[in-house]
Amino acid sequence: MEINVLFFGVLTEVTGTHRKHYRGIKSFSDLKYRIRDDFPDIENYNFRIAVNNRIVNEDPVLTDNDEVAYMPPFAGG
Amino acid sequence: MRLIEGPVSPSAISEIVVRGGTNTDTGAHSLFLGQVRKDQIEGKSVKAIEYSAYEEMVIMEANKIHKSVMSEFNDVKSIEILHSKGLVKAGEISLVVMVSSGHREQAVKACAKLVELIKEKLPIWKKEIFEDDSGMWKQE
Repeated sequence: MEINVLFFGVLTEVTGTHRKHYRGIKSFSDLKYRIRDDFPDIENYNFRIAVNNRIVNEDPVLTDNDEVAYMPPFAGG
Repeated sequence: MRLIEGPVSPSAISEIVVRGGTNTDTGAHSLFLGQVRKDQIEGKSVKAIEYSAYEEMVIMEANKIHKSVMSEFNDVKSIEILHSKGLVKAGEISLVVMVSSGHREQAVKACAKLVELIKEKLPIWKKEIFEDDSGMWKQE
């Protein structure tokens, strides 16, 4: 399946991008490994992951064209 | 909830206050303004903050916060939230929260609660920009 991945905050600098499109993804953990392979430094940062605007705590089931967001700790206000 | 490009202007703030006055069931408004502070960090002073947001999720989460505060505080009549995105200079306003209620107690309590929830729940990030144009992501 195809997945759109968004990066925010400091992670845009760690990855050098705000958005990356992945093809041939088999599962959520497959996607996480692919991202870690592409951007190994990401493991040095704290982040939470949202799928289609909802924060996920356990590995969710992804479907084609889902939007996955890598979000460092929030700092609004 | 609205995300505004750049600082929240004095006229945007006064519009909210004027609109609040049109509801005559209301006896109290509590208004919170968040301002960009000229912090000193390792000898350098902050000249601005660059805000970025996951806009779709900000709006969804703000709606949830709105509903939960309205159900917790039954005297609250209305809530207004404005938050900046993009560049806001030191001394400018980046957050406005106004809560209107029948009586003062719930306006003040609900406003304080909203400010905390905004910081905790909304996917917004800030990068402090120093006078030499270097930057640092703020972790809270």
